[in-house]
Order: sequence, then C-alpha cells, then structure tokens
Amino acid sequence: MSGPSVLLVEDNPRNLKLARDVLEHAGFAVTTVTTGEEALPAARTTLPDVILMDLQLPGIDGHAALGRLRGDPVTAGIPVVAVSAFAMQADRERAMASGFDGYLMKPISVRDFPAQVREHLRADGDAR
Amino acid sequence: MTEPRDDRDTPGAAARADDPVWLAARLADAQEQLAATREILSVLARASTSQDDVFEAVLRNARQLCRGQAALINLSDVEGYRLASATDLPSAYADFAADHPVPRGRRTLTGRVALDRRTHQIDDVLADPDYNLPEFQELGGYRSIIAAPMIVDDEVVGVLTVWRTSVEPFDEHSRALLTTFAEQAALALRNIELLSALQSRSAELARKVDEMEALAEVGQAVSSTLDPEEVLTTIIEHAVELSGADGGSLLEYDEDSLLFRVRATYGTSDDVRERLATVRIHVDDSFVGRGATSGSPVQVADLSDIELDAHLSLLFEAGWRSLVVIPLVRPDRIVGALVVRRLTPGTFDDETCDMLTAFASQSAIALTNARLYQELELQRRELATTSQHKSDFLASMSHELRTPLNAVIGFSEVLLERMFGELNERQADYVQDILDAGRHLLALLNDVLDLSKVEAGRMELEVSTFPAVDAISSVLALVRERAAQHGVEVNFDATGAPDLITADELRLKQVLLNVVGNAVKFTPSGGTVTLRAWAEGSEVLITVTDTGIGIAESDRSRIFDSFQQGTRSASSSEGTGLGLTLTRRIVELHGGRMWLDSELGVGSTFGLALPQRGEPTPVEEWLEAAVDDSRRTVVVIEDDPSSAEIVGVHLAAAGLRPVPVRTGEEGLAAVRALRPTAVVLDIHLPGMDGWDVLSVIKADPDLAAIPVVVVSVLPERGRGFALGASDYLVKPVSKEGLLGAVWRALAERVDRTSDRRHAVVIDDDPGALELVRATLEPRGWTVTTCSGGAEALAVIREVNPSVVLLDLLMPDVDGFEVVDALRADRRTAATPVVVLTAKSLTAADRDRLQGRIEFVASKGELDLSWLASRLTQVAAEGATGDTS
Repeated sequence: MSGPSVLLVEDNPRNLKLARDVLEHAGFAVTTVTTGEEALPAARTTLPDVILMDLQLPGIDGHAALGRLRGDPVTAGIPVVAVSAFAMQADRERAMASGFDGYLMKPISVRDFPAQVREHLRADGDAR
Repeated sequence: MTEPRDDRDTPGAAARADDPVWLAARLADAQEQLAATREILSVLARASTSQDDVFEAVLRNARQLCRGQAALINLSDVEGYRLASATDLPSAYADFAADHPVPRGRRTLTGRVALDRRTHQIDDVLADPDYNLPEFQELGGYRSIIAAPMIVDDEVVGVLTVWRTSVEPFDEHSRALLTTFAEQAALALRNIELLSALQSRSAELARKVDEMEALAEVGQAVSSTLDPEEVLTTIIEHAVELSGADGGSLLEYDEDSLLFRVRATYGTSDDVRERLATVRIHVDDSFVGRGATSGSPVQVADLSDIELDAHLSLLFEAGWRSLVVIPLVRPDRIVGALVVRRLTPGTFDDETCDMLTAFASQSAIALTNARLYQELELQRRELATTSQHKSDFLASMSHELRTPLNAVIGFSEVLLERMFGELNERQADYVQDILDAGRHLLALLNDVLDLSKVEAGRMELEVSTFPAVDAISSVLALVRERAAQHGVEVNFDATGAPDLITADELRLKQVLLNVVGNAVKFTPSGGTVTLRAWAEGSEVLITVTDTGIGIAESDRSRIFDSFQQGTRSASSSEGTGLGLTLTRRIVELHGGRMWLDSELGVGSTFGLALPQRGEPTPVEEWLEAAVDDSRRTVVVIEDDPSSAEIVGVHLAAAGLRPVPVRTGEEGLAAVRALRPTAVVLDIHLPGMDGWDVLSVIKADPDLAAIPVVVVSVLPERGRGFALGASDYLVKPVSKEGLLGAVWRALAERVDRTSDRRHAVVIDDDPGALELVRATLEPRGWTVTTCSGGAEALAVIREVNPSVVLLDLLMPDVDGFEVVDALRADRRTAATPVVVLTAKSLTAADRDRLQGRIEFVASKGELDLSWLASRLTQVAAEGATGDTS
C-alpha cells in the first residue's frame, strides 16, 4: 500500500536526508529535488499530495518556485508548505502572505513532523 | 524808563480808509504777508522740516516785510538769550553774539519782551536811557529795533528781533506782522520738537518691531528646520539687514581647535566666501578672537587704518572697509561671532551695536540648539544604521546556525525514537547528550534573537487579560518533573493572587519559566523553590524564592547583564547566559521591574512587578476588535521620510493602515479620496503647510469629522486646537503618545457620531450598579440598572439597549443563563454583551462565552475610563455579529 506522496525541495543534503528518512519512516512516498527550478517538472510528473519547500535555495528561491507551481494549472492546486530556518515572525508572515499553505520552522521536531505534514495534504490525497 | 508806545505811527488810520494809494499799499502788504505766511507754512509742512529751515523762512520774511536790515532769533538758555538764527547779520556781531548771550532784564529790548510777554519796539536805542547794550549796538549798528516773544506752552522760549540801522520807527503793521511771525516760529519750534520726539519714538518702535521680527524669524528657522545651515544663514542675514550694513558672516567657534570657522555669509561674493571658509582665525591672534573674548562688540571704522590679520586683510582686499564683531556667547562659553561689514568706512553707532548684541544673545541660543539637534540626529542615524546592521547580521546568523542544528537535533531524535533500530544504553546516553547540546545551542540562538528584537525596539507585546493562577500553574507544571528529578520541591503560594493578569501571556510564561528554571537549577537536592503571586496596589507582584547557594553581593548588580550568571554558574550551568537579561527586558517592556534579594548559603529571591492599571491601553487589541478593515486607513502627511516611517511603523503595529504622503496637496487629495479613519499631520511641509491643510479639512463638511492629530516640532498646541486638531503632539513622539492620540481621536469621533448610547447594567451588588452609572452617565449614556437576571431579560427586550453589562454571579438567573437567553431570542441575539465580573473565569467558562460576548472586564482591577471608552466603541460598532 502506498502512503501519501510528498515532494521535498531542499538543497542542504543532510536536512534533505533527515526529512526524507523521517517521512519515509512514517509511511510517506518521498520524491526529492535540490533546486527550485526542478520543483515544477518534478511536481508535474509525480503530482504529490503536498510539496515541502525550503525557502533559501540556489537559483530561484522558494517564493519564485511557488509562483511557478501556482502558475501551472496542473500543479496549481497542490498544497505547498515552507520549511525554513528563517526564524523571525516576519519571515513566517511574508511566506503566508505570498501564498504558502503552511510554515514549518527548522529545526523540525522529528516526533511531530509527519503529523504536521499530514495536516496539509491535498483533500483528495486522504482518499488514497 | 520809557514805556514803549504802541501806536506811535498809526494815528489817523481810519481817516485814510478812503485813500486809494494807502489802500493799494495795504493790499500789497497783505499779499506779501499772505505769501510769507504761506511759505512758512509750506516749510513747516515739509516732511524733513528742521528748526533751521523754519527759522530761516521766518527771518527772511520778517526782515523783508518789516523792511529791516537784519532779523534774528535769540533762544532762551541758562545764561540769557543766545543767538540761534539770523539773516543779514554783520559777521562781527554774529561772532560776538555766539559767545555772548543777551542778558535778561529791562536794559535790553529782548529782556523787556520776555518779561512782558508782548511785542515792544525802541525808536532809537541811542536815545533810550534805559537801553544798555553798547557792544551789541556798536557791532550791529542798529537804531530802531522791534522784537516779539516766541511763546511755547506759556513760556517765552525765544525772541524774534528786526532792526533798522537808521532811526526809522516800525509802524503798526510791521508790529502786527512780527508778532505773527514770532507766534509762527514758536509754533514751528513746538511742532518740530513734538515731531522729532515722535519721529525718534517711532524710529525706535520701528526698529524694535524689526528686531522682534528678526528674532521671531530666527526662532522660527530654528524650530521649523533644525537645519543648522539654514539657521545660521537666517541669523546673519537678519543681522546685516537690521544694522543696515552691506554684508556679514557668522563664525562658529570650535573649542577643541580654538579656531573660528566661517559657517554662513550674507551679501558676500562666492569667491570671498570660499576664501573665508579656509582662512585660519585663531582665538588668540585674531581680531575676531579679541572681540569674542572681550564679550562686547568691537569695531574697525576703517580697515586701512589698522594692522590686519589674515581674516581682515582678506576682507579688505575684497573691498570691505569697516566692520563690527559681535560675540556670540553663552554663559562662560564662546559659541561664535557675528561679523557685520560695510563697503564704506565709518563707525557703527551704539544703537546698532546694542541691537546686534541683543540679537546675538538670541542667536547664540539658536546656534547651540541647532548644533545639539544636529549631533543628536547624527547619533540617531548612526544608531539606526548600526542597529539595522546588527539585526541583519543576527537574522542571517540565525539562519546559518539553524540549518546545521536541524540535522544535529533531527538525527539525534531519529536515533532516540529508535526509528531504525535499538541503541544500547551508552549510545542512547551519548545521543541524548548530543540532542541536549543541540537544543541548548538552539535556545541560545532564540534568546539572542529575542534580545536583539527587544533592543531594536521590535519586540511587540501581544497583551491580553488571562487567568493568573492558570498561567502560573502551567509554567510550574513544565519544571516540576525536572525539579523532582533533582529532588527539589516546587511550591505555589497563590494567597492574594489576582483573578486575572494583563500581560503578553506567552512572554510572561517565558519569563517565569526562566526564573523558576534557574531557581531549580541552583537549588541543591532537598531544597524548595516557592513562587508567590499577589496583587498589590496597581501591580501584580511575583516572587520566586529558592533555598539555593545564593548570589554574592558583588555579582548581584550584574546578574541581569548579558552572559553573567554570577559565581553560582561555576558548576554545571545550562543557561544561555542571556536568560535573565532577556527576562528583565521583557518585564521592562511591560512597564514593570525586576529585583533580586539574596543571601549566600541561604537562598535567593527574584521578584518582578507588572503594572496592571495606568499603563497604556492595549491599543492594538482594541483597534483590532473595533475597526474593520475598510476603516483602518490613516493618512500620514509628513515630508521627512524617517519621521513618516516611524509613524507608519507604530500605526501598522496597531493594526492601522498608514498611507504616507509628502506634501499638503497630496495629503488633501488622499483624505478626499480615502476618507481615512484619521489623519496624522506634520506642520512644516513644502508648499501648502500643515495649518492650511488642517483648515481646509475642518472647513469641508464632508471631511470635518475626520480626526486630525498634529505632530510637529512647533510647540503651538493652542493654534492647533483652535483650528480643530483632535490632538497635538510635539516631536519627537513616542509610540504610546502617538497611538494614544489616535485612539482618543477615534473614541471622540465615535462619541460625536453615536447618537444612541443606552446601557442595561445587571448586578446584584447595588454598589457596582452605582459605580457603572456614575461612570457612564457623565459621558452621555443612559443607564438602566437591574438587580437580577430575570428582571433584566424583560428590561432588555423592552429598551433594546446598545450594550448590556453583565455580572456573572447572581442569585436567581446567573450571567451565563442571561447570555444564553439573550442569544436564543431573535430580538436580542445581536445585542452586545460585556461581562463585568469578580469571578475568575475557568476554561469551561470561557468556552461557554466564546464568541457570544464582546469582552470580559474584571471588577477588581477596572479602569473605569477605559471601560467607558470601550463601551462607547462597542455601542457605535453595534453587535459583532458573531453571535452564532
């Protein structure tokens, strides 16, 4: 049986590995990319139930990658959650204002992380 | 003595009335006389009339019409009658008379005229035995002589005399004519005296007015621009103009280098100005330095006469010929000097010097103020820049540290969760150490960020009112487990604790966690940590007492400083070293204070006090609730970008939407287009100034109701209020001052626009009912009181009040049931309800009231005017609509 699918966009290899391992352990099907540019084609291919997006990325940043996803009708409806080490309240507000569906701050809580991600799954993803 | 005869040569005048020749001669005389009088009058009428002009005209006409050889006026002085003016007088006589006044007494004609106060003549002075003035007679050579008194204010001030060198007595006509001329001369003398007195008075007045205007303009320049360059230029410009000079410069004195520097010039060519800027003017070896040190004006009437220093020779070469140096001094201190110059040689009179000195003392103050302001402004900018750099650095550092910490903490947790297999005990212990260390670093990072936020003034408190005991208990629950592991008992003494506490709940918990956590950490096994909380006056006091090792006195003062934990940190410390610093800053941000009592080996008590009343109303929350989005706009009319930004930040923090504009014209356009909820208005604006903007808004019926809060450097509250400002703040304004003014302006507006304010107050305590009535009625409310819930429901349905004020604990139907009943009834479902209670609300109570009432006010710690304002707002806004 296949759990909910998640696309992870994260450039730091250790943090990518941590999030992937924790989510896979919790039963998610995880796809990973390391740049904002790769996010859109990967999302179009895998149509994940949720996308986890680092904000500071090489090349285009998380905000720009979000814009691309929302600009494509195929991916526009996929929830995108920011996962960032920017800790200021203003950073969170800016992210929410620019259209992210959620904001998770690093360091993540390993125990709570899968549940936090699950909260943002696309509505029809629950059916799987 | 011969009595003068008045009518000697006029016998038979009536007999000649039919003689055509005689008549023709009389007519010619009359015409001559008329012409003479007219001439004298016209002389008098001239603007620049002087005594000499009038005397000259009188004497010439008198001599001519009386057909004499000479005419003269002697004016009375202490020695007698001194020659003042004359016509056709032999020069020898004039020279002699200049040194020899005619003596008083009857031996001279002048003396006789003065004594008798009437016109006399002597037919032949040589034939008059009483006449005795041989030197005068010899030098003048006169024989027949006639004289008339000049009487001013009943006093003979002089005598007008005409003589003939032959014995030829004067006729009656001449006598009348001379009498008239003497009267005119006297009148002229009096008028001229009056006129010159008047002129000198009005000249003095005009100068005073000029001086006052100049000072006022300098004052205006200081308070409106605070731009030192502009202030200096204004000062020198007015100094030059007031003294009628051609140019000048203002020199500022630098105490460190002992040099004067030319800071502003007026009426000076660019070329000279540039050279003046570089010339060295030392206090010890320059003319300006001498002047400034002397403390009073020093001048050079002609620069070509004296030895010139570098500064003066530069001026001399540029064509300047005379100057005066006015020192600018404050008590005991040279501030600078004014140099006022002319292109022509000549002295500056005392009046000009006095006036410039008065002007200089004002200017010295202006200059000092402007300089202080400039320094402050510079410091402020430097601080702002530094602070911004620091914030940027911290934000970036936080991000960079958080990224690897994510892996450290995350993988440790993965291992400890045994996600991928079991760990042996030692492995688990080590991984726990890694995790603890990672979390410690994270806590440090968070404290650093918080502290930088506090220090940059960016920490915003989210103040609310919440149950005190619940909040404190939840903090203690967090530390009890760890305390128990250390064998430390944690107690809570809630005797006298308030029901509710007003603070930022999360921040207060952070503070308590830190203080209690520290106490537990430094208390050895078997010890106790006791938290006490009680209300005292207008404060809530909380103390945390431990039975720990205590803190040495030498460490107590610095324990609240960053990275200081006193000697007790020598053992195992997990604190960040920032905890107490941050704690104190958060308490202070609440308007509270922290203190420490300690005794080595006995224990320590950390205390904190949080003010509960008299603190600024939680404007943010209030506005958040009361003003919906469309009404949050505040137009900020301010030309200075940094001021506009500060105002904007404060307004935005209060949930308002600032719309900044730079000019009065734009401001009016924005006000017309947006119909904002309020206007914040600067006065000094380019183009149309703030006064004009205020006048236009208040004169327009569509805009007049919009509250305008003036924020200005000018201390002119009276004018602001007279023009209709809601409030007037003098820069610099604090956040509380600004938001308080906006808040009051909005409340007043609501007061004016709300026509229906009727409160039904339900309480079984008659005292409480009276208190509310006494609070609301003077503020224009109608108050209906009910002592029980059942009665109240009927009353509310009947009067349909704009707000219901409800006690929760009542004997018959309690407050919760009243709310239930009101909400169940369609007619009262939307009636706003405010709960006013002494009961400490439980979580269940809150759930029950959630979304059904406007707010809860605690009886014990109620600020009545605050309550009145909030009720007014509630009444104006109507029901929240959230009654589902």
